[in-house]
Amino acid sequence: MTRAFTPPISKSPRMPDVLAISGLTAGYGPLRVLHEIDFRVAEGERVGLVGLNGHGKTTLFRAVAHMTGWQSGSIKLNDTEIGGTRSTGPGRRTSAIVRKGMAMTPQGDAIFPGLTVRQHLDCGAYSKLAWRERRQRRDMVMDIFPPLRSLQDALVGKLSGGERRMVSVGRALMVDASLYLIDEPSLGLAPKISASVIEALFSLPTDGRAMVIAEQNVALLSGRVDRMIGMHAGRIRGDVGHVGLE
Amino acid sequence: MDILGTLIHGLNLAAIYGLMAIGISILWSSIGMINMAHGATFAVSGYAAWLASSAMKPVIAAAFGKTLMAKFAMAGVTVGAGVTAGAMFGAIIYLLAFLPIHDKPNYPVRSLIVTLAINLATVQLLLWYFGPRSRGLPKLFGFGKFEVLGIPIRYDQAGAIISTAVILGLVLLWLKVSRKGLEIRAMMQNPEGAVLSGISVRWTALPVTMLTGALAGLAAILLSQTIFVSPTSGALPLIKGLTIALLGGLGSVPGAVAGAVIIGFLEATVGALPFLGQRYVLFAQFLFIITVLIIRPRGLGGLLDETRE
Repeated sequence: MTRAFTPPISKSPRMPDVLAISGLTAGYGPLRVLHEIDFRVAEGERVGLVGLNGHGKTTLFRAVAHMTGWQSGSIKLNDTEIGGTRSTGPGRRTSAIVRKGMAMTPQGDAIFPGLTVRQHLDCGAYSKLAWRERRQRRDMVMDIFPPLRSLQDALVGKLSGGERRMVSVGRALMVDASLYLIDEPSLGLAPKISASVIEALFSLPTDGRAMVIAEQNVALLSGRVDRMIGMHAGRIRGDVGHVGLE
Repeated sequence: MDILGTLIHGLNLAAIYGLMAIGISILWSSIGMINMAHGATFAVSGYAAWLASSAMKPVIAAAFGKTLMAKFAMAGVTVGAGVTAGAMFGAIIYLLAFLPIHDKPNYPVRSLIVTLAINLATVQLLLWYFGPRSRGLPKLFGFGKFEVLGIPIRYDQAGAIISTAVILGLVLLWLKVSRKGLEIRAMMQNPEGAVLSGISVRWTALPVTMLTGALAGLAAILLSQTIFVSPTSGALPLIKGLTIALLGGLGSVPGAVAGAVIIGFLEATVGALPFLGQRYVLFAQFLFIITVLIIRPRGLGGLLDETRE
């Protein structure tokens, strides 16, 4: 089944696509999670991906990173095809895709508990250039997340939930990616802390890059993203422009 | 019963088992492989060291005669050959048991079977080529003993303990400060997070297998100062390494070190007790490990971790 889907008019003239997904189907083992998804993100855009638990937001991100059990369909990152059909080997192509300019913050605390904050951030600086400049880049991350500055030598596993999330997001900011996929930055955090994490994400400049934030708490994103996209039962069910919820 | 001598003996065993256990532990946590071929690495390294040392013997004798330099050259050749062979065998394990199957379903079980097959095949190959006769390696640290605070210590014991401590210290330091080490530690703690940080599992697994192979090679050289090299000489170190890695909580380096010290002392003590003796060593070790794992199924590792998961 193919669903007629017209991208909404958000910014004109339309910038080139950073991410262009068409006909993406993905799942794990016998379970089919995504059904023929078409989805585009243009340069300079901030897109909110909303939907209930278990409706495919995380799987969509994982499919872009080739971390699903199996998948098929075209995924273009900056006009380079990174999709294709794959039946085994989750994660095998992920590091190559990351090096093509995709930065993803996985859901929850998918982090390295035994590294210090400094080492953890350095892990994100995988390119030669970023590794050389890792000091400046760490500084930049700490300007975005000031609480991390005094915790540089603390083990990540000993930090609080909010601080861990900052480290996890900060790790993704250590290189200049063109596409940032942030999965549920507010998950499990106190409202005040999650607001500050989201605040920091929106303070990043958007020139030459795009950001997709998956979130259940629509109120956190309202009025601040360029588009909001709803997911339901593994399909994209709505694509609206600037939304303000009060 | 000679308590102090038993202590030294226990530390000696702990050093050798520790080298094996840490290799097995690092392999499991970073690339998810239980390496049953670690014993084969051990035996192959022993034979490589024996071949190299017997081939180089006349050369070294001609060059240095019977001077101290000759001893150093001999030690260098033996250790170099053993460690290099271990690293090369680690690379072979990478090519056979990691690269083709690492992203297939049920990889831990598959790799267990493949490495077990490598182990059996290698032992048979060594038996067929070299025969069952055991070979002696040159004594790296010489014969004799010295006394510290009234404890008599054999040269080979002191050499094994000190060189293990130095090498392990260097390896752990390398893991801590180098960029490759950072990548390996990231992979050990969270493979999924590691690939998302642009760390390629395939390219990080190769240095891991080579490093652990080299550690097994060093263990082979050190243990061969006390026993002989034979095709099956890797079996017991493999079993002890595996059980110590389990006892320490697979994947925890401090746990493996603690486990090796405990098991080493247990072996030395049981062997020295007049009413038990050597034949009860394995029995006592397994009894101890089973008891610990019943009480703490995660092994000792969790007790030593500074962080929560």
